[in-house]
Amino acid sequence: MLWYKGGVKPWLVSLLALVTLVSGARGDEGSDPLGQVLSLPPRPGPHWIWLSDLVLQRTALFDTDTGNMLGMLSAGMGIVAPVFSPDHREIYLAETYYSRGTRGERTDVVTVYDASSLLPIAEIPLPPKRADHASGVASNAITDDGRFLAVFNLTPATSISVVDLPARRLSAEIPTPGCSLVYPAGARRFLMLCGDGSLLSVTIDDAGQEKTLQRSAPFFDPNADPVTEKAARAGNQWLFISFAGVVHPVDLSSDPPSFAKTWSIVSEEDKRASWRIGGTQQLTAHAASGRLYALMHQGGRDTHKDPGTEVWVFDIAAHARVQRIALRSPIAGFLRRHLGLTEGSFTARIASWLLYAVLPNPGVDRILVTQDEAPVLVTGTTFPSTLEVHDGRSGALLRDIAEVGVAGSVIASP
Amino acid sequence: MEIIEGRIDRWLERKARLLARRTSRRSFLARLSALVLGSAAFPLLPVARAGGTAARAPAPDESGLKGEAADPTSCQYWRHCAIDGLLCSCCGGTQNACPPGTEMSRVTWIGTCRHPGDGKDYIISYNDCCGKSFCGRCQCNRNEGEKPVYVTPKNNDIVWCFGTQSTAYNCSTAIVLGIATEG
Repeated sequence: MLWYKGGVKPWLVSLLALVTLVSGARGDEGSDPLGQVLSLPPRPGPHWIWLSDLVLQRTALFDTDTGNMLGMLSAGMGIVAPVFSPDHREIYLAETYYSRGTRGERTDVVTVYDASSLLPIAEIPLPPKRADHASGVASNAITDDGRFLAVFNLTPATSISVVDLPARRLSAEIPTPGCSLVYPAGARRFLMLCGDGSLLSVTIDDAGQEKTLQRSAPFFDPNADPVTEKAARAGNQWLFISFAGVVHPVDLSSDPPSFAKTWSIVSEEDKRASWRIGGTQQLTAHAASGRLYALMHQGGRDTHKDPGTEVWVFDIAAHARVQRIALRSPIAGFLRRHLGLTEGSFTARIASWLLYAVLPNPGVDRILVTQDEAPVLVTGTTFPSTLEVHDGRSGALLRDIAEVGVAGSVIASP
Repeated sequence: MEIIEGRIDRWLERKARLLARRTSRRSFLARLSALVLGSAAFPLLPVARAGGTAARAPAPDESGLKGEAADPTSCQYWRHCAIDGLLCSCCGGTQNACPPGTEMSRVTWIGTCRHPGDGKDYIISYNDCCGKSFCGRCQCNRNEGEKPVYVTPKNNDIVWCFGTQSTAYNCSTAIVLGIATEG
């Protein structure tokens, strides 16, 4: 500080600092720019996916074509499941915060993020009732026109918070006694599943207020063979699937929705071999090709959340299986990465082969297929957190992505 | 008889006066209203049902059990048949007590687990311990009789930190509520 005492004026220091900043921002020829922050292109790539993380309290964006991470959104407590505006400009996260991290005052909000800068641009306060459940599926639903977002509440009384997205405000909280989760079903309609096996159809008006609540007759038996929360939508149809593998199609073209003929994804032979659907995100559909992907494992009763070692692909219209994709061990992939065996040397290849040959295959927890013409099928596990990328048509493993998080949860595609 | 009745009357009177001195009417009313409000708010919850129908029988004897079925830090502990979470026994608590500084949720999901010693089915209440972040040890996922989220009282995916000061999930206990009367 002697030089300063020697008479250098504060304004001169400020000027010097300013010059440094300006020159840094401009970037001298050939030198690294300073202070640069990237943003994303206006439209997401066809094979981009978001992976939420239970422990890191975030959702992160990966390009599954390259395996690169492109950015992330920090969220609050519990599981977050990103929702995307149909024009791809905004991302919505229903979040829960406590003023002192895990304690203090609770605040629930829908945060609106700019999909390009990934910066929060608006915050819509919610009733502090947002449900937190481990699978994270059907926690939120956006209307097909992108105008309203519904957030499922559980206190354990059930309701939905309806948010008017363009107006950036809560429009209503609609009590839905006995009915849970929330599925989008048109421009002004949501569906919910009820404890007696019925379907609740919630319609709202243009102000986001409750218009009608219509409860169907039970369409499945919740005691004998309940449908899972993990449904898949293909166009105008929601496909719910039961523990035993019975598909219950719900047709959205009528109001209230109608129930199409049920069909089974397991044959008698499959049943004898104890094939079952399981996992935490176990069903996904490719709408354009009319294909349904189901995560399968061999197990007994009460294994409805067990991870799967195969993905079975069905023609939805024909109710027929068209493909079986055997998944490779995510643990072997995880260890191969951590042991640095991904280089193409002969030793690394032998060691990799040995890992896959020797290690058991516990299966994966989640699957998601992208909606483009040449889709990828992404699979993931929670512990350890892994992400594998397959060709959505051939099923071939294209790559596994390293270090995707600590406890991966919801996988979503924009 | 009159003498006995008179004594009982006086004894009751003394007790009532003692109670009145020890307890202000306001606090009594507050407790009563809390009880009434509480039971009104959760009329159909599993704990209320289980507690009401199956009296709190003593927890079954576990001293004769061997191996993992007897070990509360094991996922295979007999009470853990429908748990999905982190075991409090590994986190500074026990199978029926929360770790220090956490708060036990009163509202829970329930499972029905068979005691390997006496062969009877017991109703297990999986009370979550709340107010601190994940304990991160002894992750266990078993789903005997588990049902989806919309069958709320039997779902173990839900973070059951309800009525607690914070919904931060730390770990889960496994408390015997009573003998199950139906499978």
